[in-house]
Amino acid sequence: MKQSLVVVLAGTLALAAIPAQAGPAPDDAQIAAIVVAANQVDIDAGKFASERAALGEVRTFAQQMVTDHSAVNAQATNLVTRLEVTPRKNATSASLEEGGARNLAALRKLDGPQFDRAYVDHEVAYHEQVIDALDTALIPNASNAELKALLVQVRPAFVAHLEHARRLQATLKR
Amino acid sequence: MSAVVPGNIRSSVRGTRGTAIAALLALAASSPALAATHTVTIVGMLFEPATVHAAPGDRVVWLNRDIVPHTATAADRTFDSGRIEPGQQWSLVVGAAGAIDYGCAYHPTMQGRLEVQ
Repeated sequence: MKQSLVVVLAGTLALAAIPAQAGPAPDDAQIAAIVVAANQVDIDAGKFASERAALGEVRTFAQQMVTDHSAVNAQATNLVTRLEVTPRKNATSASLEEGGARNLAALRKLDGPQFDRAYVDHEVAYHEQVIDALDTALIPNASNAELKALLVQVRPAFVAHLEHARRLQATLKR
Repeated sequence: MSAVVPGNIRSSVRGTRGTAIAALLALAASSPALAATHTVTIVGMLFEPATVHAAPGDRVVWLNRDIVPHTATAADRTFDSGRIEPGQQWSLVVGAAGAIDYGCAYHPTMQGRLEVQ
C-alpha cells in the first residue's frame, strides 16, 4: 500500500507530495513517467544551482546531480523505448513537476549562503522522498522485470546522493 | 610505497571477448612468470571487491557496470582513471608492494583499496 508522502519545509520551499493514489497502483507506463519526471526535476535544479551556488562544493554537487540524473534518464528512456512502453503522465509525475517548478521559483529569489542552504536542504528532502517512492510505490509495482531491475539498480545512486547532500548540509550549518 | 605505474591505458578488451581474454590471462598466470589481471566491477555505487589484491606487475581493470559515470582515483593521487562512462573500463599495471586507498572523484561515499603484495 502506498503512503502519501508530505514533506513540508520551513520557509519558502514546499516539496510536492507524492500522493497516495485512490485508484490502482501505477502501471509500467506511469512508473516510467514518474521516474523521468523525478530525474528531470533534479536535473533542472542542478543546472540552476551549478551556476548560482556560492560554495564551490555545492556547485560541484549540483553538476553531479545533472550528470547522474541525466544518465539515469538516458538508461530509463532507452529501456522503455526498447520495451515499447510509452511513459504516461499521471497525477504523481505532474505533482513532481509542479513541485520542481515551485522549488526553482523559490530558489531564484535567493543567493549566497542562503541559496546554498535552501538548495541543499531541498536536495536532502527530495532524495529521501524519491527513495521512499522507489521503495513503496515504484519497485513493488513494476511489472516488467527489466524495469524493476533498473529501478533497483538506480536506488544506490540516489542513496549516495542523499548521503553526499547530508554531508554538505552539515558543512553548511557550521 | 613506491608509486604504481600510472596508466591512462584504456583497454580495448570488452564484453565476451574480454571474458575470453581474461580467461586466457588467468590460464597464463598459472605460470608464475606471467602477470595476472584483476577486475574491479563498479556497480550499485560500489567497487567490487572493495579490496583488490594484486602482485607487482599485475593489471587491475576497473569495469563500470553502473548506470552513472565513475572514476577510480587514488587518495594519494598516484593513479586517476578520469571519467569512466557506463560500459567502459580503465586499467592500471601495479607497481611495488603496498596499499593504496582510492575512491570515486564524483561520489564521495565510494571507497576502495588496492593491496599489492
